[in-house]
Amino acid sequence: MLPCSWGLWRSAIHTLKTFRASPSARGLCIPTRAVCDAETIFALSSGHGRCGVAVVRVSGPASSMVLRNMAGLTQALPPPRTALLRRITDPKSKELLDRGLVLWFKGPHSFTGEDSAEFHIHGGPAVITAVLQALGSLEGVRPAEAGEFTRRAFHAGKLGLTEVEGLGDLIHAETEAQRRQALRQMDGELGRLYQDWSYRLKRCLAHVEAFIDFSEDELIEDGVLNQVDSSVRQLETEIERHLKDERRGERLRTGVQVVIAGATNAGKSSLLNTLCKNNTHTQSMTHCRANPHFNGQPCMSALSHTPKYAFFLMTKSLFLMVEQADLTLVVVDSTQLPPDPQLVAAFLQQHLSTVLPSPEAGMTAASDKVLLVLNKSDLVPEEQRERTEGELRERPGLPPACFLSCSTSTGLEDFLTVLQSRVKTLCGDPLSGAPSLTQARHRAHLQQSVQALNQYHQYRDQDLALAAEGVRLALTHLGRITGRVGAEEILDIIFRDFCIGK
Amino acid sequence: MLAQKLHLLRHNVLSFVSSRTGSDFTRRQYDVIVVGGGHAGTEAAAAAARLGAETLLITQKIMTIGALSCNPSLGGVGKGQLVREVDALDGLCGRAGDAAGVHFSILNRSKGPAVWGPRAQLDRERYRQFIQSELLSTPRLTVLEGSVDELLVSQPNPEEPGHHRVTGIRLVDGSHPILSSSVVLTTGTFLSGSLFMGQTTSPGGRMGDAQSCAGLSYTLKETLGLRVGRLRTGTPPRIVKESVDLSLAQLQAPDKQPTPFSFLNTHTRCKPEEQLPCYLTHTTPGVERVVRESVHLNCHIQQDAKGPRYCPSIESRVLRFPGRRHQVWLEPEGLTSDLLYPQGLSMTMPPELQLRLLREIPALHRAEIRTPGYGVQYDFVCPTQLTPSLQVKSTQGLFLAGQINGTTGYEEAAAQGLWAGVNAGRTALSLPPMALSRTQSYIGVLIDDLVGRGVTEPYRMFTSRAEFRTYLRPDNADLRLTPRGFEEVGCVTLRRYKKAVSVRDGLQEALMALQSVALSSTRWREKLGNISLSENKSTTLNGLDLLQYKDVSFEMLASAFPECLSQYFEYSQRLKIEAVYRPHCEKQSREMERIRSEESLSLPSDMDYLSLPVSLSQEVREILDRVRPNTLGAATRLPGMTPAGIIHLLNYVLRTGFMHML
Repeated sequence: MLPCSWGLWRSAIHTLKTFRASPSARGLCIPTRAVCDAETIFALSSGHGRCGVAVVRVSGPASSMVLRNMAGLTQALPPPRTALLRRITDPKSKELLDRGLVLWFKGPHSFTGEDSAEFHIHGGPAVITAVLQALGSLEGVRPAEAGEFTRRAFHAGKLGLTEVEGLGDLIHAETEAQRRQALRQMDGELGRLYQDWSYRLKRCLAHVEAFIDFSEDELIEDGVLNQVDSSVRQLETEIERHLKDERRGERLRTGVQVVIAGATNAGKSSLLNTLCKNNTHTQSMTHCRANPHFNGQPCMSALSHTPKYAFFLMTKSLFLMVEQADLTLVVVDSTQLPPDPQLVAAFLQQHLSTVLPSPEAGMTAASDKVLLVLNKSDLVPEEQRERTEGELRERPGLPPACFLSCSTSTGLEDFLTVLQSRVKTLCGDPLSGAPSLTQARHRAHLQQSVQALNQYHQYRDQDLALAAEGVRLALTHLGRITGRVGAEEILDIIFRDFCIGK
Repeated sequence: MLAQKLHLLRHNVLSFVSSRTGSDFTRRQYDVIVVGGGHAGTEAAAAAARLGAETLLITQKIMTIGALSCNPSLGGVGKGQLVREVDALDGLCGRAGDAAGVHFSILNRSKGPAVWGPRAQLDRERYRQFIQSELLSTPRLTVLEGSVDELLVSQPNPEEPGHHRVTGIRLVDGSHPILSSSVVLTTGTFLSGSLFMGQTTSPGGRMGDAQSCAGLSYTLKETLGLRVGRLRTGTPPRIVKESVDLSLAQLQAPDKQPTPFSFLNTHTRCKPEEQLPCYLTHTTPGVERVVRESVHLNCHIQQDAKGPRYCPSIESRVLRFPGRRHQVWLEPEGLTSDLLYPQGLSMTMPPELQLRLLREIPALHRAEIRTPGYGVQYDFVCPTQLTPSLQVKSTQGLFLAGQINGTTGYEEAAAQGLWAGVNAGRTALSLPPMALSRTQSYIGVLIDDLVGRGVTEPYRMFTSRAEFRTYLRPDNADLRLTPRGFEEVGCVTLRRYKKAVSVRDGLQEALMALQSVALSSTRWREKLGNISLSENKSTTLNGLDLLQYKDVSFEMLASAFPECLSQYFEYSQRLKIEAVYRPHCEKQSREMERIRSEESLSLPSDMDYLSLPVSLSQEVREILDRVRPNTLGAATRLPGMTPAGIIHLLNYVLRTGFMHML
């Protein structure tokens, strides 16, 4: 035993501390700050819902990468704090999402003190959702938690002490809003689905943990792990299937974007007005509201619609809008149709190619995204109309066509039936179909959850601690949607399901 | 009272005989007084003394210092990690285990090195001897036989938080008070303990020992106003080995090559071939019948004090999971002992029924009982009243460790004892208290769980409690804790520190050497023969990458590159483990960093939340006032705490300059 006075200790500590700072002496310690860059986060920082311009903020070390990828900036970044008009594209599919302003803020001269970027985009829910989803698909980038931006700003010393009091209240409001939103979501079929997954995942974890902590002393058979294997596989399949369901859930939440397109005077505005006025038919579609914008843009009108909030836009010839739309109503003036019904199909084909952005690739693919509205049917002789209808029925390569008269409302009934079924397909019927995803955030967490479950299989036979880590991680991600799961909860399941009694 | 006093100097090794009566031998002033000589108390006293504090250990009976009151074993899954960590901080129990073990095995061998559980059956006599001789040879440590009557409490130091200050203790014999700067209480089950067997109840904390002092309970509850709860535990009957038909039980052999607990030891005292086996047998329906018939004669089982869910008596197992076969392990009590310990048969029914129950098990059909099993109920202090340094928040200088904090198990007690001893010593030496992060050790997890959440049943360590399990491994406890234990804490001796540093540097060099050998996967296949690599041909892999593969061992790589790798043979197992886990640990490092930074923001324990001039809802104020979290991290984990509340709190703490790093 070494008798050592305290003074000696301290001098020893002093010399050894210097020693420890040398790089080789870092040893096997977990790397700290140098490697642990904060994650990059993003969020819509203008309000949700309809608005003229929406602002999406990105903060964190990957911000410049995000900007390059989304705004097609292959060369230099724009000068800091300078607005630049760019096409904003999906980094994976290169699909055009919107055209908008991008701004670059080099840390520490930003709101959060970190490298940041801003996207000022059109305020339609479809555009916003598309941009948020594109951001979420980037490596190392994730949706921000409530108040995370402001908290980062606070930690970076970017907020004055007086601002902090207000900040607390702001975060409170944000969390409240998110909580209410989450409650609404958790209250339905979707909530039950997530809760069910969470419950099953918790059991999987509990059983793996029980096998690790107790199987040496207790009667916990190897069969327990086989059950976990199949449960995990089942969960993976279900979540993956859910993720593949064509993003129907997000439409449910943010609305279906419908574009009304057509030549001047074809009757686009009349169609919109008819849809808005026709309350008896749209009652099942709930609220219906016209909201025209004339901001120097080609005439745009919007109305909110269908099961929850469908979103209608109307334009004359804005390809961008049509490309983003979930559904395009192409309005054609029936009086302009060739009198010979046999020529109508070719005429419409030609017409569509001028209205729709990519005629050659588009027709078959786009045909389920397009409806033809042959307006002013009251001005066409009835016999010609019937023959034309017969000719157009079952015509491959052409979207469904409906004769309609906005002035007399003839044919409106049939048109609405067709329209409604289309919108329902796009939204996924919340009453009959499988519950769908509702938020980009959920999507990101579900994806990460599935990835984590892969780790379970990967290590199942090699290292159970690492396999269990996969299940833990999956539960953490799912917990971001359904609520955090603590170690005690897992232990509760263990002691309920097994007789641990050594 | 028989007041034996021992001033044990470094040189009078192995001699409790030199004890004398009279007060002349004992000083009246110590830095640290430790009350209790169990696993927590011995570690606390030794740690405080290692730190440089003049320390006095007071125990009711010197001969029971280091006694294993219940099972004759140490370690296991989760617990083994604690033993390794206590050893890494230069505690006693790891080396004691190596000296006393008679059956070593690593549990979970097939499940990944992060969850390996080093475990040993112990020789009770050897364990006691080792602990006692260690304490005897510890400088600055005095052992005194006696019973503490009360704590001496005075006005607090106004510059520190707290309502009281402990200044020493007074013994039952009414002699002069013994003063100290800090006191560590490790009274185990003796705080208002009562023993149960059948329908009889008697006061006490362990069969055969003096009962506990009502005075101490009174001080804690009445003078200091601490909230206490009641827990229960139990121990099985001890069986005469000769009376057991071991041919009817299943033999459980130890590991062929014992693995020592301590980082200092290369081998155990017990030679591989001297090890003793354990035996496994099972309960029968007859056992269940006896339990059911005896319930009305069993006070303990009818009480509502909380028992553990994972170490229940045979009575509660049978009643909770009827119709099942339960495992019973027959464990040796030592090399020369003629007893067997039936692990899993803790019971409190009347002795004659205990015998009937045992004999329902085929291997025990002729069993004789040496001492019957019994139950204990005892008070514990709700551990949310403690700081992460294990000091009572309201009382300066008073530290608690072990079962008094609501835990169960030798390893849990030793871990807390060591940390309470460290902080008692630091307080006495006017150094700031220290906390261990839950990102760095199981000890940190244990203490954070206790002080942050409290207990509802006796707390036992499981690996599932640790968020960073793949980092908190038994193999790297020395790297995680020993350097810090020497450089910052002061509880590690130079000898151990030097060893850990040389291991750390050696491993580091070896890892760099591994990274320096890089080949395409095709070339690796040529060099190592038939191994399955998932990477495509052109990918270049270094030795560390390759070591992650299941089929690749360090030995294989060393034989392929003898010139640069063969010198690191001694680390081969550790390198393999490190290679497999390193990528995962790096992924978690961000989360670890976040937790650590929140843990480092401490909240003053005397904060007046109810009138704090910041915008907090009444609900949040009440939560904070009730729980009084120690750190911002703990506050964040409180149910009902809002993000907005956290920001307000953080702001207030920063503004008023309360923040300091733990």
